[in-house]
Amino acid sequence: MVEPIRELVTITVDGREITAPEGQMLHDAAKSGDVEIPVFCYEPKLGEPVGACRMCLVEIEGIPKLQTSCSTPIRDGMVVHTKTDQVKEAQNAVVEFLLVNHPLDCPVCDKGGECPLQDISMGWGPGKSRFTDVKRHFQKPIELSPLIALDRERCILCYRCVRFSQEVAEDEQLQLLERGDRTFVGTFDDRPYDDPYHGNVIELCPVGALTTYTYRFRARPWDIEDAGSVCTLCSSQCNVKFSIRDEEVLRVLARDNEDVDDGWLCDKGRFGFQSFGSEDRITQPMLRGGDGELSPISWDDALSRVTKALKSSGEKTAVLAGGGTSNEEGWLLGRVLREGLAGNAIDSGAHPADAGAVRGLSNPALTARMRDIDHAGAVLVLGADPRNEMPICDLRIRKGVRRNGVRLAVATDSPTALDRRAHAVGRYLPGAAAGFISQLAGEIRSEGSSSGPDAEAVAALATELRGAEDVVVVWGEELWSEPRAISALMDLATVLGIEGTETSGLIEIPTEANGRGLREVGCLPGASAGLAEAPAGPGVSEFCEKLRDGSLETILLADSDPVRTHPDGEGWKQALGNAFVIAISSFETPSASLANLVIPAENFSEKEGTITHPEGRLQRVRRNVPPPDGLLPTWNFLAAVATELGVDCGFSDQPGLFTAMTSSNGLYQGITEEDLAGQGVRWQDREGAAGRVPAGGATPQMAAPTSAPGSAGAPDSIRLGTRRDLWAAEVAERSPALEFLVPMQSLEISIPDAERLGLKQGQAVEVSAGDGASVEAKVAIREAMIPGAAFLICGARDGNGNLLTGAVPGSRTIRIEVATPVGQTENT
Amino acid sequence: MHAKLNQDKTDWSPFPYLQEADVISVQRGPEAGGAAGGWRALRETMRGMKTTFARLVEGPVTLQYPEEKTAVYPRFRGRHKLHRFTDTGLEKCVGCSLCAAACPADCIRVVARENDPDDRVSAGERYAEVYEINLARCIFCGYCEIACPFDAITMGHDYEMADYNRADLIFTKEMLLAEPIERAPLKREGE
Amino acid sequence: MPPTKTKTEKTTETRILFRNIDEPGLSKISTYKRLGGYKSLVKAYTEMTPEDLLAELEASDLRGRGGAGFSMGKKASFLPRGDMDKYLCCNADESEPGTFKDRELMQKNPHQLIEGMVIAARAAGANRCFIYIRGEYVLQADTLDRAVAEAYEAGYLGEDVCGTGEQVELVVHRGAGAYICGEETALLDSLEGKRGNPRLKPPFPAVEGLYGGPTLINNVETLSNLPHIVASGAEWFRSFGTEQSPGTKVVSVSGDVAKPGNYEIELGVPVRGIIDDLAGGASGKAKLKCFFPGGSSSPVLTVEEGMDLPYSFEAMADAGSMLGSGSIIVCDEETSVVELALRVARFYHHESCGKCTPCREGTNWTVKMLERLSHGEATPIDLETIVSVQGNITGNCLCVLGDSMAAPVSALVAKYRPEFDQAISMGGVNGHATAGNGHGGDALPDVAWPLGAGSAG
Repeated sequence: MVEPIRELVTITVDGREITAPEGQMLHDAAKSGDVEIPVFCYEPKLGEPVGACRMCLVEIEGIPKLQTSCSTPIRDGMVVHTKTDQVKEAQNAVVEFLLVNHPLDCPVCDKGGECPLQDISMGWGPGKSRFTDVKRHFQKPIELSPLIALDRERCILCYRCVRFSQEVAEDEQLQLLERGDRTFVGTFDDRPYDDPYHGNVIELCPVGALTTYTYRFRARPWDIEDAGSVCTLCSSQCNVKFSIRDEEVLRVLARDNEDVDDGWLCDKGRFGFQSFGSEDRITQPMLRGGDGELSPISWDDALSRVTKALKSSGEKTAVLAGGGTSNEEGWLLGRVLREGLAGNAIDSGAHPADAGAVRGLSNPALTARMRDIDHAGAVLVLGADPRNEMPICDLRIRKGVRRNGVRLAVATDSPTALDRRAHAVGRYLPGAAAGFISQLAGEIRSEGSSSGPDAEAVAALATELRGAEDVVVVWGEELWSEPRAISALMDLATVLGIEGTETSGLIEIPTEANGRGLREVGCLPGASAGLAEAPAGPGVSEFCEKLRDGSLETILLADSDPVRTHPDGEGWKQALGNAFVIAISSFETPSASLANLVIPAENFSEKEGTITHPEGRLQRVRRNVPPPDGLLPTWNFLAAVATELGVDCGFSDQPGLFTAMTSSNGLYQGITEEDLAGQGVRWQDREGAAGRVPAGGATPQMAAPTSAPGSAGAPDSIRLGTRRDLWAAEVAERSPALEFLVPMQSLEISIPDAERLGLKQGQAVEVSAGDGASVEAKVAIREAMIPGAAFLICGARDGNGNLLTGAVPGSRTIRIEVATPVGQTENT
Repeated sequence: MHAKLNQDKTDWSPFPYLQEADVISVQRGPEAGGAAGGWRALRETMRGMKTTFARLVEGPVTLQYPEEKTAVYPRFRGRHKLHRFTDTGLEKCVGCSLCAAACPADCIRVVARENDPDDRVSAGERYAEVYEINLARCIFCGYCEIACPFDAITMGHDYEMADYNRADLIFTKEMLLAEPIERAPLKREGE
Repeated sequence: MPPTKTKTEKTTETRILFRNIDEPGLSKISTYKRLGGYKSLVKAYTEMTPEDLLAELEASDLRGRGGAGFSMGKKASFLPRGDMDKYLCCNADESEPGTFKDRELMQKNPHQLIEGMVIAARAAGANRCFIYIRGEYVLQADTLDRAVAEAYEAGYLGEDVCGTGEQVELVVHRGAGAYICGEETALLDSLEGKRGNPRLKPPFPAVEGLYGGPTLINNVETLSNLPHIVASGAEWFRSFGTEQSPGTKVVSVSGDVAKPGNYEIELGVPVRGIIDDLAGGASGKAKLKCFFPGGSSSPVLTVEEGMDLPYSFEAMADAGSMLGSGSIIVCDEETSVVELALRVARFYHHESCGKCTPCREGTNWTVKMLERLSHGEATPIDLETIVSVQGNITGNCLCVLGDSMAAPVSALVAKYRPEFDQAISMGGVNGHATAGNGHGGDALPDVAWPLGAGSAG
């Protein structure tokens, strides 16, 4: 199902001839011809128009009554007037009506100065109101959620926030209550509005009715400067706009980029900026002294110590990049290790990716664009929960399903937020993805071929995918932990015919924000910049073992926190304790607290560099505020280290670095900063993209369908899986506004298992696995869970699920001990 | 034009663009010097001295500043004042920043904050947590006063603001709210 | 099926829908069948094709009795042909002040409606039918429930209607009491379980209605006409009424008349005949002053203007008003026009759904101004503002509710301006209203608000 192409037609608006696609709404068509028609309720991002505000009335020749331009599709030859007396009168009337119940205390209101109602009142209003009676009153402000304040008096009932909640986020929490002029926005029973995207309603609100506590009354539009960047808190890489006052970020807004984020932001990206100014932030190089405490040292000192440490360990050095590490930084890290130290232990991400398979998957014909999801025939979500791993992708899938009839199939180990919208859902046991995927591929290839306990689910999934025109597969990085799952995935792609069509493909959701970029600049064992052939080396999962046994001595962590985010946290703890650790980090993270040297990192409001979106789009992160006193840009520090180690850098500034990085990279070659502009550029969309990926490496082996996953392990054993939680992240803990969202560890378990083990909802238990490490958690019994598996949040602050996983996720079974008697839990 | 005119003239003229008919000769005073000249000088001097002596009896008009101050007109724009409501004592300023927006010298800085309903600072939802005017930059145009929707800021009559330190010329909210020492006398009607 | 005629003094009732209305036990299927009921249904299903039915309906030129007066046959023909889920909704959310005809039709003769619906379902190709009845009509809904059960049992509804293999399901759905749910798209939203707000048109319900499927929505009275048209033919139906308004109409007469109630008349009889001959003229000593010809949303007509007009869709439209739902509210000289305007405005303010701005804020503002006017706190400027606000509402709203207030209020101000001026200069209407008012301080006529007053058959 390809996005329908519409014929161009010509209409006349106020005497101007405008050419626009047929069926486009008149308001949008007029806008494209530079005729502004005022609107309040209309917002194409929210779906179908509602025509509630009546602000956009225009005169269309041949129709006696005025029509709402937001809901009138254009036809060829339409003649429209927006400035006649009749229209003016209607516009004046609507503005006057809107102001009947709207308080006129703009100086107090937080929206003053950037308020569409102010602007439209000035531009299209009568100039004065004849209303002399009492306006309606409400208690205000109301705490709609701990992040958003609601002022019902200011609300003009434009339906935008309600539509967002109903039709975009689909949480259906915001409602209009009461009727007539007594209508107000609220939630059922005044419960807090709880949704990871709910910050968007602030931006949608055309008046000062919805404001955030983090920005409320902090600044006026003329006090602030807008500055664009890209959010590096997750792989969604949403385009953002900072509001900066006195060199401090006060607010983060969405910077509409239809190819990337559709103009939405999640709350982590919107409110996470609070961590930038956190008191805990490391702003100077730190050295761990003999007493185990970190103390500041000078940058020169830090440089010489880092160089010394790296020189002394030489090729026994490992580099692990992650988080928001830019392509430039990743490329420098690669050069430092490969050229400066002759080492080859470099990796990024949490799961070991194989260079050959990465090359295979990087085939431009196999990669989907984000916008392909909009009009895909079917979307398969495989081994990932987009809401928690790439939140904006979740919204995009929902949009496709809701508006364009995309069929959605979900195959994961743990329940996802998309299950409710899915047309078919399949579940497999943790660590059994490979078998499930190959079974699915087999079922698609020949109907009725699958057997075993999953047969029914596999058949349902296959039905959705088999005949679908364009299939987009959104898959999670976790699949790399099962080598055979990747070859099964390749097989699935072949079965689905993905390579043959333009608008289908695969998108990997990496665990690290710049996961794709880091691999492509050489932070991958066996592949240097541009995925070119390089000497093979150990992958991330082997680092742990090699650091412990001493075959690797030093590790450089670039914005990576393996103790927290990587499987086998316990092993990483020991490994880092055993090695010399240099951590580039903003905070004393669990890994950085084991580091010997900590180099402060910049965040995405301070960094200059590029990152690569999972769809292959290079985007620019811009420096908008100066970093805290004296903080050296990370690329600068790494370049200095490289020079000390005798690597010829040949550039002296960031643009030079960018050019050097792209010119040495087969994939990015020829991309200039101008190409990136505001929206970024996909390297696959450039000429000759197909030939850019070096051939080679191991051809992925075809996985034969294995036995049913359920058969593994002892009959009554419960296998441990981990699931990701959006808020189990450093940034949420360091941002005061988000701290309340940081999750408590919970053990998700299926109803039959809970019944068998006698577990009750909310009960405190102690979960242990393997060699005796244990984690405290509350029981969360869920439907749609596969029996025989239980899931802990990975990366949780208290009781990290990763501590128990062992090196291969999904390989362990757990023991559950009740920590408190049942009766006690019930009472509380 | 000029070139053409110059061609017509045979001799050089400082005003080449003037036609001869436009030149009007003005008769100047008599030549200086000589007895008549001396007398004329003495006469004019005496005429001037007459004014001097006539004023002598009126006494000195010099103001003994700083002991004495110049009176100013009621609408004189001197140092700013911030106001409170007389009944409740709450600040009139709600921190809307309109004065800062209007200021052509960019010398006003306002950082607003939300009022705590239990401990109000201003009457509205917001108040100015920081309100600073850099008087070293202020040009006393009075736009802030005009922009203020709550009559919270007015220009006073005080013009004595010299200081030894530039930093001391940044007036804070407390300084602007404090009852200023009105040192400048006001002109009375008819003055 | 010849209509029975009851003789009054001059103008007579012409009873088609009300033919057997006084028959005891008519709501039972046995009585209904004894009096010739369900024969049309059998005829429609066994002797006629859907195309025949549709042609017959179009030929009859039956106009909608709910208010808009749109041709029913034409509306049914807008539904796309083809194999898809199509729906038929009966709009029984009779909430217009002064209108109580559907109540009587449903309470006393539910099978006539059900028969009409099953016929309409065949004509439109719909197999799922709903009767959306207002929540306050508890008795009527119960009666319908019983009647539907009887019809299912008798095989007129269900999977096999009259043994033809056609499936027609009928559900009686009770509303929650919102006037706006009588608006067809709001009715659909409410039926779907959403907040009852009007939808944006187009798409019209005939194309995309209930659950996104093509939907035919008709009033109770309209559908009740169908059995008679099928039984006696379009030609017969057109022999009643005028050229443009064929058929009969059940008129609800209320207000300051001696005998308020429902009267079925041939369209085109003079208004005077309905008010004086059928409803017995003025109830008190005072002379009649004005009347609403089609429910409270129709612009008021003065006695001089309207009494001698024929009561038909076109004549009322020509007079600047409308026939609407066919309910005449009569006011006598003792009625305060200011209070009347306020009462009308209050109703629409209360019932505005709040979706579009002009209606939401305009009704609210108008009520506030009229309240001040009636309390004597208004200025002449307020009267100007009232007039201008009505103008600003008219034509700018999403649905017709806003216009429904603006039309009568602006008509009242236009036609009785001196009374409004007097209210301003004399300090309100109370002095005026209490001076020799037979209603004892209540300046309103006894308008039969649908739930309040009883009706005479």
